[in-house]
Parts: sequence; structure tokens; C-alpha cells
Amino acid sequence: MGTAVVITSGKGGVGKTTSTANIGTALALMGKRVCLVDTDIGLRNLDVVMGLENRIIYDIVDVANGECRLEQALIRDKRFDHLAVLPASQTKDKSALQPDRVREMVMRLKEQFDFVFIDCPAGIEHGFKVAIAGADEAIVVTTPETASVRDADRVIGLLEASHLKSPKLVINRIRPKMVKQGDMLDIDEVVQVLAIDLLGVIPDEEAVIKNNIKGEPIVMHPDHRAAIAYRHIARRILGDSVPLMVLDEEPGLWGRMKRLIGGRR
Amino acid sequence: MAVKMIVEGKSDARLPVAVKGTREGLVFLLNERCPYEDVRRCLEELLTGDSAGLFEGPQVSVAVDYGDRQLTPEQARELLMVFLARENFLLREWGGNTAARQALHGQRPSVRAMRQVIHKGTVRAGQDLYFEGDVVVVGDVNPGGQVTAAGDIYVFGRLRGLAHAGVHGDETAIVAAAEFSPTQVRIANVVGWTPSPAGKMSTFMEFAYLTEDGMAVDKMQYAGALRSKEPLRAGGDRDGGQSVREGDEPWAPPL
Repeated sequence: MGTAVVITSGKGGVGKTTSTANIGTALALMGKRVCLVDTDIGLRNLDVVMGLENRIIYDIVDVANGECRLEQALIRDKRFDHLAVLPASQTKDKSALQPDRVREMVMRLKEQFDFVFIDCPAGIEHGFKVAIAGADEAIVVTTPETASVRDADRVIGLLEASHLKSPKLVINRIRPKMVKQGDMLDIDEVVQVLAIDLLGVIPDEEAVIKNNIKGEPIVMHPDHRAAIAYRHIARRILGDSVPLMVLDEEPGLWGRMKRLIGGRR
Repeated sequence: MAVKMIVEGKSDARLPVAVKGTREGLVFLLNERCPYEDVRRCLEELLTGDSAGLFEGPQVSVAVDYGDRQLTPEQARELLMVFLARENFLLREWGGNTAARQALHGQRPSVRAMRQVIHKGTVRAGQDLYFEGDVVVVGDVNPGGQVTAAGDIYVFGRLRGLAHAGVHGDETAIVAAAEFSPTQVRIANVVGWTPSPAGKMSTFMEFAYLTEDGMAVDKMQYAGALRSKEPLRAGGDRDGGQSVREGDEPWAPPL
């Protein structure tokens, strides 16, 4: 029996889908059987980020309405056999899914997979309730901006009021330089306000967007720091204790020379 | 002595006339700080203007309390006529410190003393907690979160959201917090907010209270002194609790 994890944020555009794709792929890299479920009905994009859009025949709404079997709607990933995506419907709207049906579906997926990641739509209405219905754990994604932290706080309150008592936090798109200049909230501030366990911090990298467009999660390219950060999160989910990455910008050529000579940085 | 300044939108900005419903009937509280003309105009509008329909119905007993205002005989006659013009009003009381007003304010302390709640846990954005008496929040009140109480609010944590003490009009209520940096504080019907985002954390527990000139914030140790100057609550004088410590500068309201 696997674990179902919902990935949510309240605010849109903070990186729920990207995080779902990358954490899921990272766990698949480690040999786990993983299923990614997109519950953002009407605005599906998990399949795009995973580069599997062209293989969709049935979707989650079809399964819920009994128009196909669950197995028919699952799309095997092109990179890993044990990674699957259950796509959202592009044409219907959020009301096409009911919490009970999704809970049932997730239960069945948990029998086949070690991890089921549920990509939640933005907002806290029906779509949110549907997405958290079947989950055993929750990951809240936020960026180091006040608006996004505020919404995360709201969502954590709602999760705690539901059956998901101890959500975990992922801080996405942090820019060490801006934090240093005081133009961005730092990790401590965010964690202090939200007061939940920190699962990981993802540095802001252009390569993440580039890879989303290519349909290949960045986690496949370990030369990027965001990829390493996502892999660390995956290891923490499996129970390893991995220290937080040091996010300071790497010193340039000049800085390195100075260090060689023994000067202060 | 006041450590931090909070600006506010003033108790004088209260409506010139407040109407309260009690078991005995209606109590009209005429604000003693407003110009007389405002009171009369407001009253006339209330009883004969658009809202006149609200007061229609069966016979109702009415008490009128004009506080510490010194009414001239003409003014008193003028005001009385406004009330007498309404056929279903039975004027029960008329005066400066009526039994009706005392009853209105006398009810509160007992309720408040009895209901004290300790709330454990963070108050997060979007959560709005209401308490019928005093409340102690053990945890933070995050931005976007709100705590409302009929009595005092004490936060054993960081107050960064909104706190509304004395929500039913108790002007002696206070808001205290270990780290006092609220987005907004309300006491009774006075609203205050920190002028700029609080940068440094203070090492003192602080509390907000009402003075005659508005809202003030001070170190927690003065709360006891402030409270001890209040007259006995039961049947208490409404303004008695506003005696400010000597040397305290009340907040200046920028009007």
C-alpha cells in the first residue's frame, strides 16, 4: 500500500505542477513506483510538463464517470516504466469531479504504486477539496513573497482543519542574491510564519522553465542545483536526513582567485 | 511613556446617536462629544428619514441618555419633540446618566469575568476566531488572521494579524502581545494600525488600550496600573476607565 501526497499552495503559479513533476520523477529515479495525478480539471498541464501530452486518450473525468477503466487512462512515462501520469480533462470544469470518486480512485492507485502525487488546482474551493480528499500527506509549495506566504498560511489552516494534520513545506524559487540584499523574504522568515516542517528549498533557475517547455523535468539533469534540491526532497520523503543546500551564489572567477590568495571574500 | 505610535480613526468619529435594544426597550445614546447640531440632525434623520420605518410597530418604551452634555432648555425641548413626534414611543427615561445606560454597561463585566478562554495554536490567514469573553492565544496570530473578543485579547506569541477587543463596545478592553506588530488593532469602535511595518522586535510585551484621545501602546507592566485606576466595573461610570497614567502621552489622532 503506497502513500498519497497532495501538492498544494493556494496561490497560482508558485510551482505546484513543476514540483509534482520533479518530486515524482526524482522518486521514480530512485526506483519507486510513482503515479502523478492531475486534478486541475480544465487547465491541465502536468502532462505538458512531463512531455506526455500526445499520448492522452482518456482522462481522470472519464475514469470518474466510468467511461474507461483506471488502467486505460494511466499514461506510462517515456523515461521510466514505473512512473505514470493520470491526466486531467481539458474540456470539463472542476465540478466534474467529486471528492468520493477521487478518494476511491486514489485508494486503487495506492495498491499499485508506492507514491501517488496529487497536483492540486490553485484556489481553495471545490477543486482543492477534491484534490485533498484522497491524500494521506500534504506538501505546501510557496515562494518567498508575502502574497504567496499568506495564501500558504490560509491553505495550511484549511489542511489542519481537514484530515491532513501535518503538512510539509517546500519553498520554491528562492534567489539567494535577493535574499541577501533584503529584497526577498528569507527562509527563516517564511518558516517562522508558517510554522510547519520544511521539506526543501528550491533555488530559482531559468533551466527549470526551459525544461518544462521541453517536457522533461529538470530533475533529470543533476548539473542544475534545482535538480539536486528536488532529489534531496525525494530523499527526505523516503526518510533520509539530508541537510539543506547552501544556497549562496557560487563565487565567480575573481572570488575564487581571492580565496586562493587568501584574501577575504 | 507611550512607546509606539498608532494612528487611528477616532472615537469622536462615532455616530452622534447610537441606538441599543434591551429587554426593556430602546436606549438612545446621544454622543456627548459631537456638536449639538449634529446630534439633532442625526436624530431627526433617524426617526423621520429613510430609516424611520425601522422604528414603526407596536408601542415601545424608550430611554434617552445624553451623557455629560449641558443642554439648554430650548435644545432639550427640541430633542424631546423629535421623540414625542413618534406615536409608538413611550418615553420612559430622560437624563444624563440614566439607569438604562448603566444597565447597558453594567452587564458586561460579569459576562466578561466569567468567560475566559485559552486558545492553543496558531491563528492562520483566513481564520477568524470569536470569543465571548477574554482570550489568551498561545501561539502566533499571522497576517490575515483575526481574533475578536468581547473582552481582552492576550497573545503569547507574535501578533501580526488583526485583533479586535471589546467588540461590543467595551472601551476598557486591551490587546496585548509578546511581539506586538499587528496589521490592525481595534478596541470597541476605535481602529488603530502600526504606521510602518515593525522592523525590530521589541523585547517587551506590549499592549494597546484606549485613552481619551485615542489608542495608545505601552509596556505590559503598566496594564495593571491602568486597570487598578478603573472604578468598580459593576454599575461603573463609562468614562472612568480612561484615566491615563501620569506622564503617558496618548496617541495624537491626525485628523
